[in-house]
Order: sequence, then structure tokens, then C-alpha cells
Amino acid sequence: MTINRRSVLKGMALSSIAGLTIAGPLRAMAKPVSAVGQPVLVLTQEGAAGTVFLQGALTVVPQLQVQPAGADVDFLLALERQLQTAASPRIIGLLDDASATLVVDIARSAGARVQWLGHHSAEATGSRHHLLTANVDDYWAQQLGHQLQEDGSPFTLQVERQDGSLVLSQLNASPHLSGQATPWASSIGYLLASLGDAGLGGTEHAKVALSPVTSAPITGNFVSFSIEA
Amino acid sequence: MSVQNNAVLPRGVSQDAFNQAVEKFRALLGEANVLAKADQLAPYNKIMMSVENAAHAPSAALTATTVEQVQGIVRICNEYKIPIWTVSTGRNFGYGSSAPVQRGQVILDLKKMNKILKVDPDMCYALVEPGVTYGQLYDYLEENNVPLMLSFSAPSSLAGPLGNTMDRGVGYTPYGEHFMMQCGMEVVLANGDVYRTGMGGVKGSNTWQIFKWGYGPTLDGMFTQANYGITTKMGFWLMPRPPVYKPFEVIFDNEEDIDEIVEMLRPLRISGTIPNSVVIANILWEAGSGNIRRSSYITEPGHTPDPILKKIQEDTGMGAWNLYAALYGTQEQVDVNWKIVTDAFKKLGKGRIVTQEEAGDTQPFKYRAELMAGIPNLQEFGLYNWRGGGGSMWFAPVSEARGSECKKQMEMAKRILHKHGLDYVGEFIVAPRDMHHVIDVLYDRTSAEETARADACFNELLDEFEKEGYAVYRVNTRFQERVAQSYGTVKRDLEHAIKKALDPNNILAPGRSGIDLDTYKKA
Repeated sequence: MTINRRSVLKGMALSSIAGLTIAGPLRAMAKPVSAVGQPVLVLTQEGAAGTVFLQGALTVVPQLQVQPAGADVDFLLALERQLQTAASPRIIGLLDDASATLVVDIARSAGARVQWLGHHSAEATGSRHHLLTANVDDYWAQQLGHQLQEDGSPFTLQVERQDGSLVLSQLNASPHLSGQATPWASSIGYLLASLGDAGLGGTEHAKVALSPVTSAPITGNFVSFSIEA
Repeated sequence: MSVQNNAVLPRGVSQDAFNQAVEKFRALLGEANVLAKADQLAPYNKIMMSVENAAHAPSAALTATTVEQVQGIVRICNEYKIPIWTVSTGRNFGYGSSAPVQRGQVILDLKKMNKILKVDPDMCYALVEPGVTYGQLYDYLEENNVPLMLSFSAPSSLAGPLGNTMDRGVGYTPYGEHFMMQCGMEVVLANGDVYRTGMGGVKGSNTWQIFKWGYGPTLDGMFTQANYGITTKMGFWLMPRPPVYKPFEVIFDNEEDIDEIVEMLRPLRISGTIPNSVVIANILWEAGSGNIRRSSYITEPGHTPDPILKKIQEDTGMGAWNLYAALYGTQEQVDVNWKIVTDAFKKLGKGRIVTQEEAGDTQPFKYRAELMAGIPNLQEFGLYNWRGGGGSMWFAPVSEARGSECKKQMEMAKRILHKHGLDYVGEFIVAPRDMHHVIDVLYDRTSAEETARADACFNELLDEFEKEGYAVYRVNTRFQERVAQSYGTVKRDLEHAIKKALDPNNILAPGRSGIDLDTYKKA
């Protein structure tokens, strides 16, 4: 189904973010498109992290195609078929470890490209982020560092390229309270939605400010990704 | 074609030679089948190894569709001394995923060689290419109403029979020892020859998938867990679907019960009363595959304390050990064996038997019953969410099917894992005489400290088990050289002599199972 930012914010207000229900078969789509003209499909799961991720993505792409994801065979095979079609959108998401492991491996078997693979661990006291990037401008890694800094919570961020070379290693051990913080999952959603043809090339970046949101801290372990057929 | 400048190159290969080889690969396979861009290679990077990403980064990946293309690839590799790491479906995640054993190796991904070449419903066998998945084969059997059933490992739907068998994987049906059920393989050798094992070399033979041994030396086993050839076809036997199938679980409350469970079970397995590869899963394996997360019970770092394990048992009804088995046959056969089995458990005086009728669709019973019936599912991937962070490496020592031995191994593993702040998440897969004691070393990949701890833990498990005369039957790519050392120098010398004879340029997966002409020094 296609949803927009307003409906997510409304859903957040009604349900304290968690429990947004999104359904519908995985299918090829022509719309909606990102700021740089590329269709974007968001894979998400129920829960606060998924909703906040989606909210961040909607800041960039006003209308998004959203698909609930899990570690079930039918979903994965449908995803594989979709990635093998020329009309496949760019696929971004923030999923649990098990589902994401399978999704990224499906990308491999479908012959798709993975530009971003992030492992995230967040507790009430801070967060850890490890990114593997491929053909992505280092600007985006720096942007994530910047966003996490703005968030004010302690974090560690390590970014490396596919060949193993280190792009960035950042540590912020001393928290500060900045009032309205942007949850890290929202920052990831924003950045992944911003990665388009221009973002990958690294010369033109989407110039959309990320709106701060307030919510409870997003805790747990997640994997983020950007996949393109 | 633009000149490439790769950050990752195969060991000992210059940029210029690599570029020339890539051009030849492109000419042979077409542009779409030669992957050399970073975003094409990223999904091939290691995901389940406790070292830095750089150590296992590939330089390129190739996809082939025919045996002739595989022969052509081998020729180019010989010409430019390009080491190649072959995967079929590449989905033995906890054993290393599709990433190469050494940085810079070119991956040969055989996923596009995915034809089911033959299924014989009378002789009950299949002949498949490397990219065929169990899910694909299952669908074929269902769609064609073929009354045969598959045996597969837990990643079932997405993994494939050829890759699993070549790695000597196991499943959960009476045909669960997969290499035992293999019959006839086709192998492209390093010199480009195509060798067929067993009866496959006899012109006009129709017994390639019928009779394993052929004539003279039987070489099939030599190609498993090895780097002597690239297997492009494999036959294997399929079990006729029985008229009656009766899965059951027996729940045991106490961890120390493992000794008595195994002693009670062994005679039932050796006699064939229980014909399938029985599983005895501990509470954390059960909880993880039942989608329970550690964070629901405890957020403190370190291993999960025993009182928490007991609490999970109380909350869920799961046991400290959870035994899954099944009976197969006619109603009369199943009835007789069911009485023998239930009498044995009654005599033991421990364990609560749960039948399919009682369990309904509850997990993990449902997915276990499906695995034992040859129905694919992905439920066990829930283990990756137990601890959080998704790191997983299988430590799989072989044990006698003797209670005291299983208890000893369990206690050793638990002690070492706890010392490193990790959980004992284990199961025994019960053959008649041996146990595959499979332990999932789960860790948080986002933490460099915990990843290093998992690595140290795995090494200590290998070291300490070796001191007691134990070794693993299969291992994550990260530890293949280390495990080869456990099996002794004579074996290693022989393996390298064979390697030198068959693959003098060392192009086929150097480092696989510790076999590498460039690094091995004869003792």
C-alpha cells in the first residue's frame, strides 16, 4: 500500500508509534518516487523502530510504497522475483537480524546491488552502528554521524567500504540533551530514502532537512539496507 | 571496456593480470555474469565470521549457466592463477555464507545452474544442478504429485541439496545423513576434465543414480568438504512418502537429564525403531526458534543465567531438553513402534510426550514436525534474534551417542561459552552411533568487543575439545585451517599431495578445509 507522511504521523499520535499495520502483496510499482525520481519501496516490521524509520523516510519521499517483511518463504521468493524485474524499485528497510539476513541474501541470489548494509544496536544508554557501504558517497556516512551527534545520545559509528577500507570511525561518549532529539532510526530512514541516483554519485545531495520528532528511545538490534535491482 | 582498479585483488595476482582475466571472463560469460562493482559484491561479503570484513572480501563474482562455461572459467583461472571460491546456493550462513576463505578470491556462484535434471518416482532419486534449492525441488514434487519426500537442513527452502551434501550437512528425516544418500556426481576438475563418479563413466549406463560404487576406487567422498573439483551435478536418493507419519516431542525439565535421554534413545535408533535423525534441543535453541528474545527476560550483558532459563521454561512450557522424533510407515508399523517408544519413555520415568494432535500449530513443534516430514520452512532463523546482533557461528563437535559423553560435551561447551559471556544454544542431532552436537555461537556483530570475544570463545572451544579427543565435523570458513590441524599431519600431507596432482596451480578454493599449496608446509 502507499502511505504518506501525514498518515504515519496520525498513526503515531494514535498508537504511540508502535503497531502501525501495513499490508498488501509485494508487487512491481511505478510510483511513488524519491526526491531524485527513483521509486522506493520500504520493507518494515511492526514496532516503534519500523514506524520511526518510515517517518524519517517520508521526510524525503512524500509517498512511499511499504511492504511488511519477515523471514517467511513466500515473502522472500516474491522479493527475489521483484528484484529480477527491470521495473523493481530501490528497496530500503530496517528489519530484525533474522529477516534482514535473508533479505540481503535474496538480493545476492537475485543479482541485485547492495549499497548500504547497516547493523544497529541501541539501548537506553546509547547506540552502536556499523555500516558497510558500496558505491555510496562518504557524505552519507558523515551525515549519519552528524545526525547521531545531534541526537545527543552516546554512540559509536564505524563505516567501511565493501573492500574493507575504513571510511569513518566516530565515538560520542558524552551525551548532551538537545531538547527535541531525532531518533537514530528516523535518521537512517531519512538517509536511505535520500540515496538515489544522485546520492550514489555523490555530487548532488537531497537538501531536505530532517524534522525532529519526539518519541521513546528506539532500542534493540536492527539491520538497515538499500538494495537496487 | 574501462580499465578497472580494484582495491581487492586475489593473492599474488597483479592488477593488470586481474583485469585481463576479468575481460576473458566477460567474453566467456557475458557482462551480466561478471560482477566486479562494489555494490554487486557487497551481498557476497562475510556476514557470519568473527573477523573484520576485509579478511574475506571477494575481488569479483562470476555466475555460470553451463558445464562448458565452468570448464572455460577453470581454463582462464589456470592461465592467470586466479583462485576461485565456488558456492552453489551460498546459504550455509553459520558455516560462513558465500564469502571466500581468503581475501580477493573470485567467487563462482552456481545459482543459475538450477535445473532439476531428473526425478525418477520409481527408483526414488533425483539428479540436480548446484543452484537447485530444496524449495524448488519441493514445489516440483508437489506440482507433479510425486510421492517422495526430501530431507534438508533447517534453512530448507533456500538452501540446496548439492551444496549441503558437498559440505556433509544433515537433515531430520530417515534420510538425514545426506552424503550417505548421495549417488553419483559430476565434477569439473582443475584441468577442465569432466569426471563422473560411480557408474557415471560407463557409456549408456542407467545406473549412475542407482549404484554408488562403480568399479575400482570410489572417489565421491574426496570431493566433499574439499577443493579438488567443482561439482556440477549430483544425484541423491529420495524417501518414499509413508502412508502414516507421526511426529512427537518429549519434554525434559532438567539439564542433567541428557545422560539418561541419550542412553534410552540409542537402542531405539540403532534398532531402527526410531528411524529419523532425532533432535534434542536445549531451552535456548527452543526459545530462539520459538521467536523469544533474550531482551524480554534480561538486558544485562553476559550469558543468560540459569534461573532465567528456568523462568523461560516455566513461562513457555518448554523443556531444558526438547526431543523431537517421528515414526514413519503403515498404520500397523507406526502403532507397533509407538508402543515400543512410549514404553521406553515410561520406563525411564521422565519426559512429557507431546503428540501433533496436542501441539497443534504451536512453535517450535510445528516447524520441527515439518522438517521431519520434508516440508521446508525458515522458522529456525529466529535464533538470530535471540541475543541480538545477528552473529552466528556453528560449533559442531562429533560425540559418541553415549549419555556420559554428551553430558560431558554439554558441560564443557557451556562453561567455555559462559566464560566468554555467551550463551550455550545447543542441540544434539542423533544418529544411531554418533551425535552431531551443534552449538550456535551467537554474538552481536555491532560490537567489536563482543565479536572479538566470540572469536576467542570459538578458538577456545576448538582447543579445549581437541584436548579431550573431540573435533568438529564441519566448520565456519573462518576456522577451516585451524580445524584441519586437529585431524593430523599425515592426513594433511596426503590431502596436499592429491591437491598438487589434481590442481597444481592451486586455483580451486585454496584454503578450503585448510588445503592450500601456497601456505601449507609439510611437517
